[in-house]
Amino acid sequence: MAERYSSFEKGGRRWLWQRITAAFLVVVLAFHFFLLHFVNHADEVSFLASSARMTDLTYYSLMVLFLTTATFHGVNGVYNALENQGLTGTKKRVVKYTLIAASLVLVVQGIRTANAWAGLPTF
Amino acid sequence: MSQSYDRGLVEDFGRWREFSAGMWAWVFHKFTGWVLVGYLFTHIAVLSTAISAAGQTQAIAAENDVYTTVIVALESLLVVRILEVGLLAVAVFHILNGCRLLLVDLGVGLESQDKSFYASLILTGGIVVASVPTFLAGVF
Repeated sequence: MAERYSSFEKGGRRWLWQRITAAFLVVVLAFHFFLLHFVNHADEVSFLASSARMTDLTYYSLMVLFLTTATFHGVNGVYNALENQGLTGTKKRVVKYTLIAASLVLVVQGIRTANAWAGLPTF
Repeated sequence: MSQSYDRGLVEDFGRWREFSAGMWAWVFHKFTGWVLVGYLFTHIAVLSTAISAAGQTQAIAAENDVYTTVIVALESLLVVRILEVGLLAVAVFHILNGCRLLLVDLGVGLESQDKSFYASLILTGGIVVASVPTFLAGVF
């Protein structure tokens, strides 16, 4: 039988979520780049134009989901990379909670920004 | 039965001359991943100027609110446009190699994973070169 050489935790599901978010992000990241660089151009950006897009509930919810999945995928990727480098023990726990805190700040700040465009409370 | 190849640790970057295509794909995927997650935090920080702009109805209508002003000022800089082309290159490679990884995980095209890495590189180059005129439009 082939030996087990994976660095992932046995029974863990983070690897699966990394791939599920990847499949989603492949499509949405390409859409994001295409819409904001090829359909709309970078030098034509304005609050009014961003606001017009974000007041559409479908676009707003897609962007919030995009932010959440990108944050999970990116931060989990950083954590995996550090784990592969041999991070263990207390250092690993400190890194884990620092990354979780940074993710929460990023998602909250991103939603506040989206709300600013959508005319919703920025709390 | 699965077969394992012992090529040594890819984390031991000092032996990069011995790296195979798959190891380079791993290195590039990690590198582009670090760049993208770093950019994500920067991106949200810059876009957050929209929070200060919200409610400034007159400035928004006149397109001189803080968000519009900051983005327009950044986009007028050639260096920002060049960095955006770099970001596109990084994102396109990460997307294409990510598709390759998803297929490899599903056991599709495992035997030609080196060729699909080269294809990802060539396709990334092609898409980036073709996008340069769009990314530099209006800066000169």
